Amino acid sequence: MNFTLQLVFAGVCVGSTYALIAMGLSLTFWTTRTMNFGQGSLLMVGAVAATTMITAKLLPALAVVAGTLLTAVLMIVVERIAIRPLIKSGESMGWVVSTLGFGLFLQGFVAKFFGSQAIVFPSLMFDSQDFVNILGIQVSAQYLAVLALSVALMVAMELFLRRSRWGRAVRAVSHDAEVAALAGIPVRRIVVLSFAASGLLAGLAGIMVSQITGTVEPQFGFNLIILGFVAAVFGGMGSIVGALIGGIALGIAEKLAGGFISTAFGDAMAFAILMVILAIRPQGLFGQREVVKV
Amino acid sequence: MRNALARLTDIRLVFAAVIAIGIAAEFASRSAIQIWSFVLINILIAQSINVLTGIAGQISLGHAGFLSIGAYGSAVLMKSLGLPLPLSIAGAALLSAAVGWALSFAVGRVREFYLAMMTLGFGMIVYEVVREWTGLTGGVMGMRGVPSAALGTLEVFGFKLGDVGYFRLMLAVTVIVLWLLRNFITSPYGRALFAIQASEVAAGSIGIARASTKRSAYMLSAALIGLAGGFYAHLVGYLGPETFDLNRSVEALVMAIVGGLGTMSGPILGAILFTYLPEKLQFFADYQFMVYGLILLLSFVLLPRGLAGLVLPRTHYVKQLRPQSAPAADRFASDGVGSAQDERGGGTRNDASALLRVENLAISFLGLRALDGVSLEVSPGRILGLVGPNGSGKSTLVNVVCGIYRADSGRVTFDGGDITGLSDDRVARRGIIRTFQDPRLVPSFTVRENVLLGGHRRYRQNAVAAAINQASALREEQAMLDEAARIIDSVGLSAHANSVARDLPYGDKRMTELARVLLARPRMLFLDEPAAGLSEGEITKLGQVLRAVKEQGIAVVLIEHHMEFLNDLVDEVIVLDAGQMIYRGDMRGMYTSAPVIDAYLGRQQQNAPAIAMGEHHA
Repeated sequence: MNFTLQLVFAGVCVGSTYALIAMGLSLTFWTTRTMNFGQGSLLMVGAVAATTMITAKLLPALAVVAGTLLTAVLMIVVERIAIRPLIKSGESMGWVVSTLGFGLFLQGFVAKFFGSQAIVFPSLMFDSQDFVNILGIQVSAQYLAVLALSVALMVAMELFLRRSRWGRAVRAVSHDAEVAALAGIPVRRIVVLSFAASGLLAGLAGIMVSQITGTVEPQFGFNLIILGFVAAVFGGMGSIVGALIGGIALGIAEKLAGGFISTAFGDAMAFAILMVILAIRPQGLFGQREVVKV
Repeated sequence: MRNALARLTDIRLVFAAVIAIGIAAEFASRSAIQIWSFVLINILIAQSINVLTGIAGQISLGHAGFLSIGAYGSAVLMKSLGLPLPLSIAGAALLSAAVGWALSFAVGRVREFYLAMMTLGFGMIVYEVVREWTGLTGGVMGMRGVPSAALGTLEVFGFKLGDVGYFRLMLAVTVIVLWLLRNFITSPYGRALFAIQASEVAAGSIGIARASTKRSAYMLSAALIGLAGGFYAHLVGYLGPETFDLNRSVEALVMAIVGGLGTMSGPILGAILFTYLPEKLQFFADYQFMVYGLILLLSFVLLPRGLAGLVLPRTHYVKQLRPQSAPAADRFASDGVGSAQDERGGGTRNDASALLRVENLAISFLGLRALDGVSLEVSPGRILGLVGPNGSGKSTLVNVVCGIYRADSGRVTFDGGDITGLSDDRVARRGIIRTFQDPRLVPSFTVRENVLLGGHRRYRQNAVAAAINQASALREEQAMLDEAARIIDSVGLSAHANSVARDLPYGDKRMTELARVLLARPRMLFLDEPAAGLSEGEITKLGQVLRAVKEQGIAVVLIEHHMEFLNDLVDEVIVLDAGQMIYRGDMRGMYTSAPVIDAYLGRQQQNAPAIAMGEHHA
């Protein structure tokens, strides 16, 4: 029982980072109906950049900020060179391939110039040996911090989207970009903003995931983007609450399968869940079916 | 330059080159044979992803999954079951095709980036399974001792097969496979794949079933790369999971994209290029994956049609046959589509029994009643005008009858049979063919190739006959080509028959679409604003064609805003408003009907320009 509870708790924490990744993917999906297939590499770049700067004796907090700013800027570059020229055709193949290419380039770049081996990610807040006792189960302090931060970020994002002027503009653009433009909303700036925010979330998610895994390597991230996507689809591409529930459910399923069967089975199961959800209910569990216009 | 390069795709030259390479293999170095062998494998890989992504338009980011199924499949079949080489490799291709078949059920339902994500996931699942299933695959340690040419342990029917022999075997098989593939691609089956890519809805409207067509693309693509996997296993003799990771899927995509998606020659060029580059350029080998990333990032902008689009002549999507009869252009220039419809006389025109009967059709979208109890009949050889303001339900009615939307209630019968709720391709195969407000052609096809698509529901050849160019299949194709030529002429497009659709002016695109539905030999036509955007001359032509269609006893429903065009053409007109029929009768009566003036015509006087522009976004 204790073991099971520990797995469930770990799943909740890990799942919250999936939800964060899903958030990042959803943001650009709302504004442009696109998403960065190289998002996994941004997670990795954020983590590697932060590690490199901390190793160079920079203040950890500053390193985290600089790392996430870097991923935000990279995401603006993605929008400029990989999305904008290809979105006009109306087909998805162009930008899927070009954003994947950008991700592969980043991965190759880091492997070439920072080494292809896994590097140890420094503990930022707690040591990996710190445990807290909650209701009789040993809970890793790091996991707890990651969970708290993720949920805080999601809540902040939800409030931003609902309450702030910019957030409402994002929702207006997501609803209908043409009408939003007619209403005087600066659509281009909103799009760039959504990409920058998506990059920011990716960088943060990357740093948090590496805090849990303890190491980071160039290949890090490509699995994660699928997990994030599963969480996003679970909630129906766009619902923040849906993404959070989806991410956590996925995290729990993965940890339980991993704990009782095998780690690889945990990975494979996430992909299997994706297949099943998309095949049975492409609009997600919480999403509404889009009416196809002919 | 292009003319010189055109010779490269000349079949005789290719054949001579293949023989020459087969002979030259005797004198080549071991390392050269090795590279040549990899070129062949990469050609199959690139063609595989080309079939699925370039031709059927279904992106795959997990193709390495199929490659590993083929490779491990053949290795296991030979090592564990002791199957001889031809059977183990054929078994591997079949196994891969079976997985493609199964996968198509899951991924066939999603599109675009959902599909990209799912295929990415597929590749990773297979990768994980191969790593974990240690008992079968050797896990992360890999599988050693696969009988192979490299180890000198490969035998076929008791003969030992060395590097050169194995290369020749692969060469022969690859050439035969490419020949079959080319024949298949240029058959109605291949063109149906392009139609699915261009528009699934348009494909359905001419009788192409999307699910089974996609399924065939997945199976064909998986079989091709499964074959490549089998070849690979017995070339190198060692299989490790790392060979089949995401990078391999990306490499396959790079080869096909840079070579030229949707062409036959492009993937071959791409495969040769990306087999030699890492071998010959140290720089490329060092930065391979960064370069691949850059290529993927930039190729769709800088090289949208690939190398083949840049330097090679255009790929034909129809078999290059010699016409058996003289071009029909002069003989049939004036009599419209009459000759194309010779199987059915025009005698049914006064037949009182309705061909299409719509009863009490209703459908709502998000609470909005788009159709509210509409009933109508259309008899053979009659033209029914369907008019009404934007959003009155005209296109919705067509979409319900043609099987794109499912009605909430009501019944549609056609020729005595109930067709309520049939899928769009089934409705089309019964003989109800429709056009769209915007012409939905295959942009890379010529006018002739687009028109041929219309004949899809009439082809009787099977896939094997198409792939081996069986005489009967060729005769059928020729007959269809002749008929297409006559129809193209009747709509006035003879001069543009070989022009690529994406370069055509709007009016010509619409006329191409019209020609396409005529080749389908419809029994009933739904035309959605066919006159919108046409010039005066084209409208006259359209009127002539429609009269000829009527003469053939085909029932026509015409959605139009162009009243003058309808005046002397239609036998009856129905006016819809807010999903309800508010008038039914002749044109003259419509102009004086009070409800019609209130709902539609009255507004037309005030907002004449807006209505004249049509309702392209309805």
